[in-house]
Amino acid sequence: MNQPRPGYQQIPASVLGMAASRRNVLRGGLLTGALLGSSTFLAACGGDSGGGDASGAVKFGMNEASGAGPAFDRLAQMAEAYAKKSGVKVDRNEVDHNTFQENINTYLQGNPDDVFTWFAGFRMNEFAEKGLISDVSDVWPIDGMADSFKTAATASDGKQYFVPKDYYPWAVFYKKSVFEKFGYVPPTDLAELMTLTKKMQGDDITPFAFADKDGWPAMGTFDILNMRINGFDFHMSLMAGDEEWDSAEVKQVFETWASLLPVHQADPLGRTWQEAATSMSKGECGMYLLGTFVVDAIPDDEDDLDFFTFPELDSSIGATALDAPIDGFCLSVAGKNQAGGKEMLKYLGTAEAADAGNKGTTPFIAANSNATTSGYSALQTKSAEVVGAAENIAQFLDRDTRADFATTVIIPSIQKFLDDPSDIDGVTKSIQEQKESIFV
Amino acid sequence: MSATATAPDRLRAGGKPPRRAEGGALSRPRGTIATVIMAVLALVWLFPLIWAVLNSFRSYAYTQQNGYLSFGGWTLDNYRTVWQDSGLGKYFLNSLIITVPAVILTLFLSSLVAFVLARFSYRFNLTLLAVFLAANLMPPQALLIPVYRMFRSIPLPLFMSESGTVLGSYWGLIAINVAFQMGFCTFVLSNYMKTLPHEIYEQAQLDGASVWRQYWQLTMPLVRPALAALGTLEVTWIYNEFFWATVLLGGQGDKFPITSALNNLRGQFFVDYNLLSAGSVLVALPVLVVFFVLQKQFVAGLTLGSTKG
Repeated sequence: MNQPRPGYQQIPASVLGMAASRRNVLRGGLLTGALLGSSTFLAACGGDSGGGDASGAVKFGMNEASGAGPAFDRLAQMAEAYAKKSGVKVDRNEVDHNTFQENINTYLQGNPDDVFTWFAGFRMNEFAEKGLISDVSDVWPIDGMADSFKTAATASDGKQYFVPKDYYPWAVFYKKSVFEKFGYVPPTDLAELMTLTKKMQGDDITPFAFADKDGWPAMGTFDILNMRINGFDFHMSLMAGDEEWDSAEVKQVFETWASLLPVHQADPLGRTWQEAATSMSKGECGMYLLGTFVVDAIPDDEDDLDFFTFPELDSSIGATALDAPIDGFCLSVAGKNQAGGKEMLKYLGTAEAADAGNKGTTPFIAANSNATTSGYSALQTKSAEVVGAAENIAQFLDRDTRADFATTVIIPSIQKFLDDPSDIDGVTKSIQEQKESIFV
Repeated sequence: MSATATAPDRLRAGGKPPRRAEGGALSRPRGTIATVIMAVLALVWLFPLIWAVLNSFRSYAYTQQNGYLSFGGWTLDNYRTVWQDSGLGKYFLNSLIITVPAVILTLFLSSLVAFVLARFSYRFNLTLLAVFLAANLMPPQALLIPVYRMFRSIPLPLFMSESGTVLGSYWGLIAINVAFQMGFCTFVLSNYMKTLPHEIYEQAQLDGASVWRQYWQLTMPLVRPALAALGTLEVTWIYNEFFWATVLLGGQGDKFPITSALNNLRGQFFVDYNLLSAGSVLVALPVLVVFFVLQKQFVAGLTLGSTKG
């Protein structure tokens, strides 16, 4: 029964907040947003149905919980910066990454927060098509946001449903000290790669660190091989379910992978990616294909790490595509404060928000190109260059296709393949059969 | 280590192993073999626990560099980090808010049902008991979607639930825990109540005791050992419940009980297993405390049931 009291007390504060935000908004020439905002506010005040906040506060669903390190700090700092700038109260809902992702369906259909963290591309499009996230195309164009990000934020109906925050590339990491010591050079094509791996084996170094105990790391290898062998367009339509998994193209990917397995660490199914990263750190392995978060496992080696994009395997396709998952924000349809949420989204896309979040030691890179880069580490700077130079960007297998397909079909299938690389026909046939029942 | 290995094992088996070892039913060599087998089983059963406790005192950097089979890198930092960075205290409180009412409600409601089932003969007694038992065997996952949708469409006033529906409130979570635990409790309590001599109820009726009085002042004190035993079990089960808490709280991180919040110690990519072990040890502590506080009644409840008749 004491709920109405604080709500009542908050009204003056929120009116102040509204006035403050209206000033900013007027400066931006976006009066409509504020009008909408005040009307929702009044409706929420008068009606007994809505529930939630009558104060104009924005609920912010974060897919990181405190204790998760820099990724959490970044989101918290951005939310704080927005609250400070606009005077709007931001209610943070902190849920750990995996729980958040696993519960996203029940979350969005239940009582979701207004603004929540999510992934660009296919996984965003799914919710846009189901009508669970709001059209935010009036937030676009965002100053400093490149066209490739706009494409990644656009759903199948041609409208934007997403505001990018940051991204990180997948590439082949190595230790500069090891490469210098043995005189290795980053390869640019298959022949050079094979020469390099032979050399490494001669020096008693396993060329590639490799782990797939968690199920998802090997997806990165599949992605890059498919993009190098069959090209970006084929990869994307395969992910969308428009190609056959038992086709000659996919079989060729697995065959190439099987031929490369001898230069990878053996028995990957019993190893976590952190252990694989450690074996590279110790110099037992020469290279490791992973995202920039590899630094998390071996923080002491950060200054010694460098990377190159996976070399081309087919000269007619080149090496212009790579995985660079984009994280960002969506506005939930069921959120109670649509206008307030949109205002916050508008802010989250700016360079200012990126700078507010970039005080941590994270290896991730801001999506907004106007963001300050002076505080970037060498790895961050190079990541930005490499992704900027890429012609096509994929989001990673479990983000480019249906979540149920990725986790229930692809993970066990790839693990089965790694366990017994000889049965490619069986693995691809089984994926195809399951794909037909999932993509209806 | 052998002392810790045998104590819970003996308790778990309800006090039977010591009797067998001393009772002479087994000849000496067979007794020795049985002891060895039990020791080995206890060790196998305890190994993951001991392993987790050991590693919770080691630093991630050390185990990552030297592997988990090494020895060294001792530190208390994991516990410090768990307690400070992830604010576990808040989640322990959430668990308390869910567990205490749920256990009390479960025991109260199921003792009511059990009393009626044990003391009165209605036509549907057996059917009712069977229904309770059948519901107990039902996998909760099968009910996920119906329960979720039902909770989403039941409105609650705002002072009871911020979200305005049962979904996302503790009410729903407590209700679902009570519903799922009542079957087992009813079954155990009604069987226990059936062992109480019928004569005392006749006596009570002669003295003019109402049905409520027969239940509250006669039956309840007599079934206290069973209630204590069930209380211990229910606290453990409801406290450890993970599935419904994760789904039915509507993804509100600050409402999660400790079991769901343990995931907070995992990052998106990076998992510090030593830190996770420290968290798990802390989460397991309350259950141990409850067990040791109530163990006397727990064992008493088991033996009381078994020697009757």
